[in-house]
Amino acid sequence: MSERALPPELEAIRGRLPDLVAGLERRAPYGAILATSSSALQVNVNNREQQVSEGPRSQGAVVSAWNGSFLQERAVGSLALDALATAAHTLADELELRPGYAPEPGTPRDEHLAMPAEVDPASRTVREKLDLCRRYHEAVRGLDPRIVNAAVSYSETAEAKVFANRTRLLSQAVYRIRFQVVLFVSDGQKVQRDWLSRDGTGGLEIASASAEELQVLAAEAVALLQAGRIEPGFYDLVFDPTVSGVMAHEAFGHGVETDMFVKGRAKAAEYLGKRVGSPLVNLLDDPTVPGAYGSYRFDDEGEIASPTTILREGVFVRGLTDLYSAFKLGIHRTANGRRQGYDRKAYARMSNTFFAPGDTPVEELLGSLERGVYLRKTSSGMEDPKGWGVQVEAHIGEEIVNGRRTGRLFSPVGITGYVPDILASVSAVGNDLALDGGTCGKGWKEWVPVSSGGPHLRLKARLG
Amino acid sequence: MRDRLLQTLEKACGVDDWRLRRVVATSTQYYLARRDPENERSARSEYLQVEVYSDHPAHPGGEMSRGSASVTLLPGDEAMIDERIREAAFMASLTDNPPFGLPGPAVYPQVLTADRVLEREPARVARDLADQLVAAVDREPGIALASAEFFVDRHEVTFENSRGAHGQATFTSLLLDFVLLARDEAGHETESHVELRRRALEGVDLEGLVRRQAQFARDGLRAGEPDTGRYPVLISDDALRQLFGTETFSPLALRSGARFKFQRLTPWEVGDSIYDGAEATGDPLTVYANAVLPWGLASSPFDEDGLPGARLLVIEHGILRHFWAPQRYAEYLKVPPTGAFGNLEILPGSMPVADMWQGVGPLYHIVAFSSMMPDPVTGNFVGEIRLGYERRGNELRPVKGGSVSGNLFTDLAAARLAQETVMLGDYLGPQAVRFRELTVSGK
Repeated sequence: MSERALPPELEAIRGRLPDLVAGLERRAPYGAILATSSSALQVNVNNREQQVSEGPRSQGAVVSAWNGSFLQERAVGSLALDALATAAHTLADELELRPGYAPEPGTPRDEHLAMPAEVDPASRTVREKLDLCRRYHEAVRGLDPRIVNAAVSYSETAEAKVFANRTRLLSQAVYRIRFQVVLFVSDGQKVQRDWLSRDGTGGLEIASASAEELQVLAAEAVALLQAGRIEPGFYDLVFDPTVSGVMAHEAFGHGVETDMFVKGRAKAAEYLGKRVGSPLVNLLDDPTVPGAYGSYRFDDEGEIASPTTILREGVFVRGLTDLYSAFKLGIHRTANGRRQGYDRKAYARMSNTFFAPGDTPVEELLGSLERGVYLRKTSSGMEDPKGWGVQVEAHIGEEIVNGRRTGRLFSPVGITGYVPDILASVSAVGNDLALDGGTCGKGWKEWVPVSSGGPHLRLKARLG
Repeated sequence: MRDRLLQTLEKACGVDDWRLRRVVATSTQYYLARRDPENERSARSEYLQVEVYSDHPAHPGGEMSRGSASVTLLPGDEAMIDERIREAAFMASLTDNPPFGLPGPAVYPQVLTADRVLEREPARVARDLADQLVAAVDREPGIALASAEFFVDRHEVTFENSRGAHGQATFTSLLLDFVLLARDEAGHETESHVELRRRALEGVDLEGLVRRQAQFARDGLRAGEPDTGRYPVLISDDALRQLFGTETFSPLALRSGARFKFQRLTPWEVGDSIYDGAEATGDPLTVYANAVLPWGLASSPFDEDGLPGARLLVIEHGILRHFWAPQRYAEYLKVPPTGAFGNLEILPGSMPVADMWQGVGPLYHIVAFSSMMPDPVTGNFVGEIRLGYERRGNELRPVKGGSVSGNLFTDLAAARLAQETVMLGDYLGPQAVRFRELTVSGK
């Protein structure tokens, strides 16, 4: 195991940031600085093209000052100390001070926090990463004559941050890895696709798939050529962990981000301490899950990461906070203040959000369905925190009759419904757990890396 | 940094072509939680993206191939230029793609992409809009403002490549994101969320937008579920833009793109119907890829490679006429290079919107989906109804929940397009489309 050190451009300024905060706080009742550096590598190999390239790279910092009522901020695309000092001085000068209390800076801490990687991406050359994709591409492209294109991609993002306020000087460095195999198949008339994804915080060990998994992928992609559209209606269902996860994320993740409480946009605010789902349902948000794609050690506002239980046995326990909403609501912070980048505002955001596993074996769960649909692989979802509607799109639905998968497929399948009805209908919770990484927006912007997941779930919902 | 970089590129080993794109971006942002300021901020960033191309034999003695790779240079990277270009050249040398070139110098069209008002006083614009929004909401009975965000952005882009192409353009954009809450006497609440992106302040009717969204929020309070079945469905405004998608995700744009064709992901052929086997019985679909649309969000005088922006006929009366093609894929497919797709422009149809809404019903009119992302490969779509209306005879009732599903390509074959057009940032086309029959999943 290796841990990524802070890159030199951040190491050079880390120790100087507290002085800038002190300067800022000569006027501001609370000040903070977040400095970030990120770089990325992307490798793509498909039947027709290959690409190795640097992904988005950025360096910059945001200086924040509380003016007695809200945060004013200046962000600069530079880590030069003089640029940060100018931003801090300008912000201090322009601060529109108002009467009021200020957020607390937290207990003193001075630490560098890293995430372990089994195979450090920095220890492998670009050529080795390209060769990895080429090997997988060679392994899948010929698995079926109906495969018209096979695309293998690997991406790594090296992300490092330093946060400073009056009492805290924290730094972290992490690699986020994504690996994907996508097969495009055609019967001469139609084109379909299916995919296999791996992701996480860690190293190159994440980028792997077994020969059997690739065979299953090819078979399922080809089978999807025959997939029909599902007859609309209410069904008994089993969700796989990816569908469970997006349901967790959209149904009761966004709706408990407490900035939505401040804005009056969350129905969940009326349900604190009340039942919103089956007693079988336990829902968590946990940025400390080892190796998960949405993990981090502290949030973008200096709060140390720790797990939050959102639902315990179907009862809404607590929400996810950013600094502003926790302060306005007078509630304890959770480490969920996150930014898309130094140039964007922090919001209350999820990290790794998942249903906790239960005790029903997955085979038993599927076998218990007399007639229903097994939903696998989510392609998208959308929240509705005020109306408590939810939309999740599953790429594959497979008919189940008398506890057996029939092989009859539907694609895509939309799952909609009223969140408490869906959560109340959960009648069995699998004893498995898997998380699936992705990028989450607030509405249609503010993208941050997250994961979602859970066990297999048995429930009822409307499909269309 | 540019001069030093050009010197490095000229003498760098393994660099056979290059292109540069320098972007200086400023953003002024203002946020309200309810009616109170939540955050006020400004951001500035600058970067130089360098793409290098390397020609080499795919294997010893083999045919020549081309690889490319990009790196980003940030302020303060001057001392690293040689090293970064060496890295880029090395990465480019690793991949073996069929050879392609870069466009040479061209005369770029004048395109309206920068609004002087937004450029001059972004902070004042943001605060004025906030004041106007609060005042407009105050005029709406039973409506409160939940939150609002105002982004006034400016991007200055300078482009050049090793074949002598060179261009400069400035882009402004305005983002208004706000949420209205409606509350009834029993204390039930619904929200209506707007995200409006435009290049210019001109044409933004904030008062009208608030009036419409307030009505949607109020209607949401009494909305019930739709019925289940196959029904005529009218889709309009932002819901329609979501269905057609933007350049990156638009099934019409992706399927008609030379890159998709080269990668064998589209079954379309020039001269053939785009309706995937369905019989054309509706208004014939005519689509332009328009990169020079005034104030279009996807408009630009030049694309990434340096091809001039243009307005290209892609689909005419339901028949594919041209694949739009960046330089590389144009060479691969041996079709004329056309540059980036730009904005989606669809010619209007024959039916007034008012007539589309006629019929004994049931008939559904969707004004907002929760999410709508048609699969660009298959054209299949499904989206939850955030708000719609159901017509049965003379009765009209708002609906929400449930979903609408179909296939964009086959269902467009029998669709009627509105006579009236609307400009929605990167979409210019019919204000509404009436699909003969889509699947509605509800009660």
